[in-house]
Amino acid sequence: MDLLSDKWIVNVVLCLLFVGNCNSVEKKIYINLNETFPCVRLLNATHQIGCQSSLSGDVGVLHLLESEENLDWVLRTGPNPPYMVILESTLFTRYRPCSLKNGSSRVAGVLAVQPTSNPPEGFSPHTSCPNENTGVYSETYGPSYAHCNVTMWNPLGTGISYEEFDFPIFSVKDDNDTEVIRRCYMEHNRAVNGSTPQYPLCAMQLMSHMAAVTDTATCMRRNAPTFSLAPDGVCDPLGDANIWASTKPLNSSTKGHKDGVSVVIAATKLDSRSFFFDVAPGADSAATGLVALLAAASALHNATAELNRTILYTFFNGETFDYIGSSRMVYDMAKNDFTVDLDNIHSILEVGQVALGPDSRLWLHSDPVSKRNSSVNVEPNVTQPLPPSSFQRFLLERPIPGVVIENHQTSFTNKYYQSMFDNAEYLKLNYPPNLTPEEQLELVTDSAKALTEVATTVARGLYLQAGGELAQMSRIQADSELVSKMLYTFLVRVNNSWFDQLVKSDWTGVLSELMLYEINTSERKVKTTEPALMVQCILANLTGSIANITEVYFCPFSSPNFLFLCCQIYSYLWVQGPVRPNSTERDSFCVRSLVRQSKALSPAFELSEYTSKNYSTWAESRWSAIKGRIFLVASHDLEMLTLGVGVGVLLMSLLLTYIVSSKADILFSSGREPTNATY
Amino acid sequence: MNLERLPNEEKLTLCRKYYLGGFAFLPFLWLVNVVWFFREAFIKPAYTEQLQIKTYVQRSAVGLLLWVAVLTTWITIFQHFRAQWGEVGDSLSFTIPRGTP
Repeated sequence: MDLLSDKWIVNVVLCLLFVGNCNSVEKKIYINLNETFPCVRLLNATHQIGCQSSLSGDVGVLHLLESEENLDWVLRTGPNPPYMVILESTLFTRYRPCSLKNGSSRVAGVLAVQPTSNPPEGFSPHTSCPNENTGVYSETYGPSYAHCNVTMWNPLGTGISYEEFDFPIFSVKDDNDTEVIRRCYMEHNRAVNGSTPQYPLCAMQLMSHMAAVTDTATCMRRNAPTFSLAPDGVCDPLGDANIWASTKPLNSSTKGHKDGVSVVIAATKLDSRSFFFDVAPGADSAATGLVALLAAASALHNATAELNRTILYTFFNGETFDYIGSSRMVYDMAKNDFTVDLDNIHSILEVGQVALGPDSRLWLHSDPVSKRNSSVNVEPNVTQPLPPSSFQRFLLERPIPGVVIENHQTSFTNKYYQSMFDNAEYLKLNYPPNLTPEEQLELVTDSAKALTEVATTVARGLYLQAGGELAQMSRIQADSELVSKMLYTFLVRVNNSWFDQLVKSDWTGVLSELMLYEINTSERKVKTTEPALMVQCILANLTGSIANITEVYFCPFSSPNFLFLCCQIYSYLWVQGPVRPNSTERDSFCVRSLVRQSKALSPAFELSEYTSKNYSTWAESRWSAIKGRIFLVASHDLEMLTLGVGVGVLLMSLLLTYIVSSKADILFSSGREPTNATY
Repeated sequence: MNLERLPNEEKLTLCRKYYLGGFAFLPFLWLVNVVWFFREAFIKPAYTEQLQIKTYVQRSAVGLLLWVAVLTTWITIFQHFRAQWGEVGDSLSFTIPRGTP
C-alpha cells in the first residue's frame, strides 16, 4: 500500500509540474482563426441570399490566389480538390465571385483578406438600383422612373451582397493570424516549378452553418413547428428602433391626428451594411447625414420656441433593407397609432449622403410626379426621380412636398456604397498618428468643417420651413467642434471622453471600441442596438434641458431602453457629466428632453404577411457556431491505409482469440499442481 | 421461448395469435411469425397442426410483403418530395432539418 500511494503522489506531482506544458492534442493540431467576419444568410419573401456551409464546416486545401491565372488551378487543374481559396486584398474587390460559384464542387470556401487601405477604383457589393421594389416608383406611379430607368443610382454596384453561395465566405483582417496562414501555404502547398505539392498539405475548415432556408415564410413557419416540444428558432426578422424627437411637446398617449399641429419632418437614416456580417461602417451613407442632422438639431435648439410649426427629427433604422423603419412609421401614422398622423405633416426634409469633398456641392432632389404646393426656395431639376430615400415611403401614402439633400447630382459619388470600405478613411478623417486620442477628439478636420456647413444649411432650411423669418436666419450656426467630436465618436472610436460624459456609468462597458452600424435582428420584441442608443443619448443632450433633479433615483425612466414605454410628453436621461478637475468624481445630472423611440419592425411581420410585396420581409438566419481553423491534412490514401491496418489488426486479434480459446485445454493444461490446503 | 418444448396445440395457438395480432397495423408480428414458425411449417416432418400453421405463415408472409411495399413507396415519396410540399411537408414532419430545404 505504501508503495502504491507513493507512486500515485509522484505521478500527481509530475503532472502538476508540467501543467503549463500539458498541451492538449487539439492545440497541437489546430490553429484557430481569432477574429473572423462571416457572410450570413438573409431571407426575404422570395429568395435566400448569403452563404451556407455544411453542418460541421467545410474543409479544403488552402490555395492562395495570387493572380487570375491561379483560378484555373482551383477550378480545373489542381489535383487535390476541394480548395479553400484565399483572396488577397487586391483581388477581393476586382474579382467577381461568380466564377467561383460555378466551380463550387471544387471550392470549399473563400477567405477574403481585408485590404489595409481602400481600393482606389471603388467597390460596392450592393445592387445598382437600391430598394427598387419598395420605393414609390412603380407601374402605377411614375412608371418611366421605375427600376432606375432614368438614373442608375449605384453604377459601381455588383450585387454580390444579394447573391447566394453554397460555400462559406469569411473575411479576416491582414494581421499576424493571416501571416500564419500565408506561411502555412508557402511551406506546404506551393507548387514549385510545375511539380504537384505533396501531402501533408495545409487545409482550412470554415464553419458557418445557417439554420434557415428558402424564404421568410418558410423560416417563420419553422420557428414554431406543430410537433416540436422545445422549438429552436431558425430565423429572426430584422428590426430595431427608430429615434424621433420633436421641438415642441406632443402628448404621446393620444395617438392619431392632432388638431392645430403642423409638423416638418427632418429625416435621415442610421443604418448601413456590407457583404459580411457585423461590418458596416457606413461613413458616407449613414454617418454624415446623421451627424449633420444632430448638429442641426443642436443649432436650432434655442430658436425653436418662436416657430409656429413643430420640427420632428426622425432617425430611421433599417432603411437599407427595403425601408424597414420608415415603412413602419408611415404604417403607424396611417393606422392612427403614432403621435401625429399623415395629415399633420406639412413637408419633409431628408438628409441623405452629404460628405463633401473640396469640389463637391449639395444637391436637392425632389419628386417629379407629385403635385407640389411646397414653399421650398430652390426649384430642383424636376425630370429626375428621387434617389432611394425614406421620403419615398411617405409619398406612397400621400403627396407630401419634400426634398432630399444629397452630395450627388445624378448617380452616387460614393464609390463604396454599403461596403466595408465606406469608413473614416474614405471621408478623409485623417488624424495624424502621433496625437493622443484626446487630441484627436479635439482636432477639427476639413471634412468636419465641410459637414458643419451642411448642418448649418440644413438647420436654416428647417428654420424657414417651420415658419421662421428670413432675417433671423443668419444667427443659426452649427458648431464645428461638436460635429468633429460626433464624427470621431461614430467613425473612429466610441470610447472617448466626450461620449463618456453623456452615457450612464453602467453603460460604458457595453459599447465596443469601434462603432458599427447594422440593423440588428429582433426576436419579436425589438431590442435597441448601439447606433440607435447612441443617437438617442446625444439627441437628448443636445435638445433637452437640465431638470431640477439631483438623485438618479428620481430621474424617472432614465434608462434608454425604457423610452418605448414611458412618458406622455417628456423623457428623462441620467447623464454622467464631465469629470471634476483633480478628481474622478463626475457632476452627474438629469436631462429632460422630447426624445423617443418607436419600433422599427416591418409591418409585414406585424400582419404576418411574410410574402408581402409592399413591405420589407427581410429576416436573418440563426446559426450555432462560426469559427475557422487551419491544420495539416494527410492524403486520402494514407488515411485509408491506416484504417485498413486497424481493421486488419482487429480481425487478426479476433482470429487469434478464437484459435486460442478453441485449443485452450491443450495450451493451458500443464503446470497444475495439487494444492495443499494449509490455510 | 423454445418451440421444441411446446406441445403442438400451443404452437398452433401461438401462431394464430401472432397472425391475428398483425392485422392491428403491426406488420412486425407477421415478420416474427414468418421467421419463427418457418422451420415448424415447412421443414419439420408433418404433424396434424402443421397444415394450419403453414397457412398462417403463408398469409403472414403475404401481409408482410404488402406492408413492405406500401411503406417503401411512401417513404421514398416523402423523402423525395417533402421539400417541395412546403407547408404540407412541414406539418407532416416531426423533425425538420436545419439549413437544408
